[in-house]
Amino acid sequence: MFTTGAKLLLGATVASLAGTVAYGVLAEGTMGTIGLVSATVALATLAGIVIFTRDANVFADEPDTFDGAAANAARPGASMWPFALGLAATTMTLGLVTYPAIFILGAILFVAGIAEWILQAWSERASADASHNAEVRSRLAYTAEMPVAAAIGLGIVIYSFSRVMLGVPSKTSTIVAFSIVATIVLIVGAIVGANRSITAPKITALFAVSSVVLIGGGAVSGLNGERDIHEYETTAYFAEKDECGAEKTYADKHASQTVAGKAGSVEVILNPDGRLVHRKPGDEVDRVGAMQLPRSNPNNLLFRNETNEDRRLVIDLAPDYEGSPPRICSMLVEPGGVQWLTVNFAVPSFAPEITEIGGYRFQVPGVDTADLEVVVP
Amino acid sequence: MNGHTNHDRTIWVGSHDAHTLDAVSAVNPRRRRRIPGIAAAVGAAIALSACATDAPQDTWQPAGENAQKIHDLQWPVFLTAGIVGVLVFGLLAVTVLRFRDKGQSMPEQTHGKPVIEYLFIAIPAVILAAIAIPTVGVVMALADTDDTECVINVTGQQWWWEYDYEVEDDGTICGFAPTAAEAAPIVTSGQLVIPADTKVLLRGTSRDVIHSYWIPRLNGKRDMVPGRVHYLRLSSETPGIYAGQCTEFCGLSHANMRMETIVLEPDHFQQWLDNELEPYTSPEEGTLAAAGESTFITQCSRCHQVNGLVDDRGTDDPDDDTLVVSYPDQFVYSGAAPNLTNLMGRNTFAGATFDLLTDECRADVWEADPEVFGERYLAGVTEDCLNEIELREWLRNSPAKKPMYADAEMLTETDGKTRGMPYLALSEDQIDELIAYLLERK
Repeated sequence: MFTTGAKLLLGATVASLAGTVAYGVLAEGTMGTIGLVSATVALATLAGIVIFTRDANVFADEPDTFDGAAANAARPGASMWPFALGLAATTMTLGLVTYPAIFILGAILFVAGIAEWILQAWSERASADASHNAEVRSRLAYTAEMPVAAAIGLGIVIYSFSRVMLGVPSKTSTIVAFSIVATIVLIVGAIVGANRSITAPKITALFAVSSVVLIGGGAVSGLNGERDIHEYETTAYFAEKDECGAEKTYADKHASQTVAGKAGSVEVILNPDGRLVHRKPGDEVDRVGAMQLPRSNPNNLLFRNETNEDRRLVIDLAPDYEGSPPRICSMLVEPGGVQWLTVNFAVPSFAPEITEIGGYRFQVPGVDTADLEVVVP
Repeated sequence: MNGHTNHDRTIWVGSHDAHTLDAVSAVNPRRRRRIPGIAAAVGAAIALSACATDAPQDTWQPAGENAQKIHDLQWPVFLTAGIVGVLVFGLLAVTVLRFRDKGQSMPEQTHGKPVIEYLFIAIPAVILAAIAIPTVGVVMALADTDDTECVINVTGQQWWWEYDYEVEDDGTICGFAPTAAEAAPIVTSGQLVIPADTKVLLRGTSRDVIHSYWIPRLNGKRDMVPGRVHYLRLSSETPGIYAGQCTEFCGLSHANMRMETIVLEPDHFQQWLDNELEPYTSPEEGTLAAAGESTFITQCSRCHQVNGLVDDRGTDDPDDDTLVVSYPDQFVYSGAAPNLTNLMGRNTFAGATFDLLTDECRADVWEADPEVFGERYLAGVTEDCLNEIELREWLRNSPAKKPMYADAEMLTETDGKTRGMPYLALSEDQIDELIAYLLERK
């Protein structure tokens, strides 16, 4: 019998004829009637051609012929990629007049949209079996889509989580919030793990709700902004203000907890008797004489405080051509503690500007006997 | 089934081999005949290279205590490895040749021979344990620095080594008290001078990238990492020159970063020490060298230090003389340039890449017997022995002589600082003056 195309055209012809009669009788419009008659004739002609040439030979009781007819071919699926490409082009254009990052984002979207569209168009024609085509597309596309989607999803989760953590009013609150969230995740995970009868839809719903809560929380926190985070000044800041004294500064808080990389370093030791001695790698005993250090080299020193009071190590340098601070100091080191100090001697100790200040000397504020000459050849 | 499979396989392999061999024979039969000869020639060349006598960086000719320890270890290790290698490759060859596919039927297939499997585990384990025990012992011994008698700081940079000798608390350097002058740090480069029969501790670091210090005849290698201090023991009883090479790729001129250790008898080391500490003497006025001193101040001293050099130009008042202090950190990426105070007391320049001595004079020093080596080395570079050609080429255009990224305009990432000596556009007259001046620096 008639197939879809013939039915469509015949139906349109009948509708057009009915419309022509109705319009001609009721409206009596000459031009409209002529137009509708023309449309009816055209549709009838097309219907006749379709029926006469091929469509009319296809019968529902001839499955092979019916299935192989062009009119029975599977229609292309709906595609969102033209829309994505349009969005990408708009984003790129926007990026050209605003920020490069937006242009790059649009370009990435554009390339991805082109690739996906090509892949979809190709897979839909891979065979006559739509399910097979879908599987082919999935096998190819998932190798790229899954890692990218996972990375984007993970990025969103991490970013949302970080916004929440930075938005919590205090550092202590952050620790509490993190602990609570971690505990909840642990408990839920244990329940899910122990409950073998839990279904996939329930797990999916759980993840969906968690994601919405997390992303929503991140969005709210992000809009509210980060809490006020105090910036820790370093000893270089205090050295610039000439505050390398015996008193404690904010930079000295938890000073000895920042020491790392102790191996292979020169040690400068403040003895209990208030004298500065030094020990280099390979030395078997502490040395009391002048310490020789190479020039134009970041010398890493460890200051070890063996007295009963908090102490820091200071040394005056010659102002270099870049105007670096002439005095540098370690952080305040508690009794028995160790702190790191990097010193770069730009000029030798025999240079006039150094001899004028009495040479390079390590000293300890508040301890007059602590004085160690440094020779820079 | 097996018979069928064997039958198929035999026909296929036979026909395939026949085709392959026929193709080779037909295409290039002469080349086939040459293969054994070429293989024998290459093998002989490799084997004969072990017989080289002029091999200054040969680890098989130890001349120091620690190098001897390494040598005593590597002999049994290499011997063991050689025996194992011969056995493994021999068995492999026998298996390949004897049991190759000749169309025979497939032998009976078995699985599992516990005795053989246990032996294959036990024998390598015993061999490795036997090697590990002395190896660990030697590694521990090489790290021993308890009885150090002399400490020298070594600093690597692209592409040369700097040595500075520490003054001990008792005013000595390496246990030697200066005869006339007061003890002061000695800074030199290229050639490390140490006293014979003295346990020297090198305390090394780097100013830019990782380098590695290696004098093969005196000890193993040691990486020098920026920001860290590493130590390496050197010692030798035999006076002479011991050559080395940076063994950590460190940039464009890594292959040109060489070093030499000079071992001197104690008396000769004392002479060297006293000479290094001698006060600076200006060239005689009106001479070419005096003009060279002025040229050095204007062209070279911003990077190269000559201890004691004063700038007295434009004044007759000695109190107005200005001590010339170099500031290489403003011009060179590594922040340093070789100290040239006693340049002609050394035999090399530019990171020990080039000789300051002519070939004949160099041979006199390098091939000298230990008894006379010290005297010849301490003679330094005389006018007759100066390798003026290479020194002149170096002053004329150093980047052309040694690849160094020395064009500051190409170095935006180093803030315009060069890696090595840049082209200075010196005139021939200036070069003459500088050579005359430098020739007096010993």
